[in-house]
Parts: sequence; C-alpha cells; structure tokens
Amino acid sequence: MVVTSGTALGAVIGTIGFAAFGILCGLLYKGFDRKISAHMQSRIGPPIIQPFLDVSKFMIKDSVQPERALAWLYNAAPIVSLASVITVLLYLPFGGLTFTPILSGHGDLILVVYLLILPALAMVAGGFASSSPFATIGAQRKMVTMMSYEFPLAVVAIAIAWKLNQLYPGESVFGLAFIYSHPLWGHVGPAGIIGMLLLLFSIVVVTPGQLATVPFDIDEASPEIAEGLTAEYSGRNFALFYLADAAKMVAVGTLTVALFFPYDLSPLIGISGPVGSFIDFVFFLLKLFLVTTLTVTLTRVAVARLKVSQVPTSYWGATTAIALVGLILLVVPN
Amino acid sequence: MTSLPFWNPVICIIAFVILIAIACLFISRGQKKYKKGTAQTEIFLSGEEPPAVEQRHIKSHNIYWGFFQTLKEYYDPTVRAHTGIINDFIIWLIAIAALTAVILLIASLT
Repeated sequence: MVVTSGTALGAVIGTIGFAAFGILCGLLYKGFDRKISAHMQSRIGPPIIQPFLDVSKFMIKDSVQPERALAWLYNAAPIVSLASVITVLLYLPFGGLTFTPILSGHGDLILVVYLLILPALAMVAGGFASSSPFATIGAQRKMVTMMSYEFPLAVVAIAIAWKLNQLYPGESVFGLAFIYSHPLWGHVGPAGIIGMLLLLFSIVVVTPGQLATVPFDIDEASPEIAEGLTAEYSGRNFALFYLADAAKMVAVGTLTVALFFPYDLSPLIGISGPVGSFIDFVFFLLKLFLVTTLTVTLTRVAVARLKVSQVPTSYWGATTAIALVGLILLVVPN
Repeated sequence: MTSLPFWNPVICIIAFVILIAIACLFISRGQKKYKKGTAQTEIFLSGEEPPAVEQRHIKSHNIYWGFFQTLKEYYDPTVRAHTGIINDFIIWLIAIAALTAVILLIASLT
C-alpha cells in the first residue's frame, strides 16, 4: 500500500472526526438512556444533554490523585481507555455503509472482539493503581466479568463468520464491511433463523457485561463498593472514563447492528446519491438507538444486579449454551 | 482476498498513538490542580479508617475469587490432581499417551 501525505492527512482528520462524532453520539445516547429509564420509573429524569453538562463539570473539578496511588498508571489508565475505545470505532461500519470504516481492510471482527477488552483492562489497571480497597475489589470483579463474557461473544462472532464462509467461500468473511454488506437473515432456513435469534439473544446478554450496566455491573455496584473501579477518580480523569464509557456504548451497539441488522433503507425506497446516503446514516443511528435502548436501558430497569459468583454461571453456562445451539442451528445445512 | 482473519498491527498502533495524543490534548484542557496533603487525597472507605497500604490490595491468589467460586466443581478436582509429586504426573502422562494412542488406532481403522 502506498501511503501519500494526502491519504495520511485524510486518515488523521478522519480519525479525529470519528473520535468526535463517536463521543458526541455516545453522550447523546447516554442522555436518552437516562431520560427513558427515568420515565420508566415514573420520574422526570435529567435533560437529554445532561451527560454533556456532566463532562463539562468534571473538567473544571479538582482531579484528585490519592496519596498512595501509583501515579503514572493511575493517570494513564483513563487516556488508554478512551483511545482504545475510539480505535475500535475506526474498524466498525459506524454510520452503515455510508462511511467506509477508516481502518477497513486493516483489521477484522476478531480484532474488534479483542480490542474491546483493552478499555476494560485499562480500567482494571487504574483501579489497582488507585490503592483503594473499593477500587481493588471492583478491578477483581471486572476481570471476572471480562473472562466470563468473552466466551459467548467469541461464539457469536465465529458463528456469523462461519456461515458467511459457507455462503461466500474465499471472501473476506471476517471483515466488518463485508459482514455489513452481506446480511444473513435472507440466506438461512427456519432453523438458521432460530439460530440467528439465539445468537442475537446471546449478544444482547453480553452487552450489559461489556458496558458494566445492570445486571452485570458488579464492578461498580454503587451501594456496595461506591462505584468500585472509579471510586477514587475525579475531575478530568473521571471525565475521560465517562467519555470512554459513552463511546463504548456506541462501539458495542454498532457491532450488534453490523452483525444482526446490516440493512440500509435507501435501496428499499429507491433513493441513491447523497440523499440516499443521508437516509441510510439516519437509519443507522435509529437502529443504534433501538439496540442500545433494548440492551442497556430496558435491561437495567427491568432486572436487578447479579452476585459476583452468578456472573460466570450466567455467561459460561446459559449464555454460552444458547450461543452454541445458535451456532449449530446456523451452520448445519437446512 | 482470504477468508482468514486479518489485521495490520502497524496501522493499528499508529491510530492508537494518534488517539492517545487526542486524549492527552483533551485532558490537558481540564483542571490539573488539587489540594495535595489534605484529607482530599485520602482514599474513600465509607468513613472507616483506611488500612495500611500493604493491606489494601487483594492478594493475587484471590483475584479470580468469583470465577473460582462459581466453577469450583471444576477447579477443586483439578487442583487436587496437581499434587506436585512427579510419580503422579508421570501416571497422567502415560494415561493421556495411552488414550491418544487408542484414539489414533480407532481413527486409522475407520
């Protein structure tokens, strides 16, 4: 590949643009999440722009560093967390096929699954570095959660790629742009449809674990360990964790949309060109909103937090079993 | 074009470094100061007296407590099998080798 100064500059500008838009979008979805969950509990809730106000407030508050904290790791963790989440966004078909992922062709689904671990690992490192017992317990719980949800998530990823490889042998079936442009629902039989639904259910269960929301928010568990991992974080450091969390919501939601709802609206209504691209982009944002509302908002309002020991059971037991049955139903010819 | 997974680590690292720079730029806009040496820098422990620094961390063998607790039906016999006695390990080696040989024999006959 020949990299000219023009393409390099374009990539840098594109990276900055994706970073800004991913974060803004994540904060907006956080605002919707809080508003909808409040209404579901018969509360008025904060304004939609509350997450933006929160971040601007965090930035002017003291950024306290505990006396016995491991300073360099404590301060580096939020930066690494945010940077790694945005890196994931660069590989994803964020905005549907309207915008080609900046790093399309340089990484695939497997890479995305592994990169999604990085922000969580950064939080774990920051938690251990802060020398707080609450944060240390949170870090321990976060590792347990990570080890638990990776297995069913990997099964879902492999199942989709496996089926695509059956349908399109020799093609780049792990590439996210390829996955997005080749929906599976219309190419599988009744058993395959059930398999896809089971895999979708698995990723719906995995998402709250990825985002540390109820019922899998054991690493934060405010009433028990006072936000756990981030108990000692404040000010600008906490703002970065907050932004990383918002961007991760977009990244995980985009992954779900790419794997299970990779449809555009413009071909159906027969509009092409810039208007069609705009419609597809808005349609993508709507799909992302619905996915995040289902996996985060509705789930966290409807259920209670699990115990630490119940999280591995939920993921390695029921969720993995459901994902494996989904995989078998999807890949066995029917 | 290949159906195998692919990634370009150099591009990934370059993008990551650019984003680290953006994150550093963003964080540099925030409030840097805090009151060092005051109660502000004490860790929060719900009003309890914080333990000594060396007692604040979870010991490494307890880090995965939740995981071991949940999967104890698997881990307990596995840990018991690791006796540290070389004779036991040799028995395991011979047993696994014998099992592998039987599987290969059956596979070659079918």
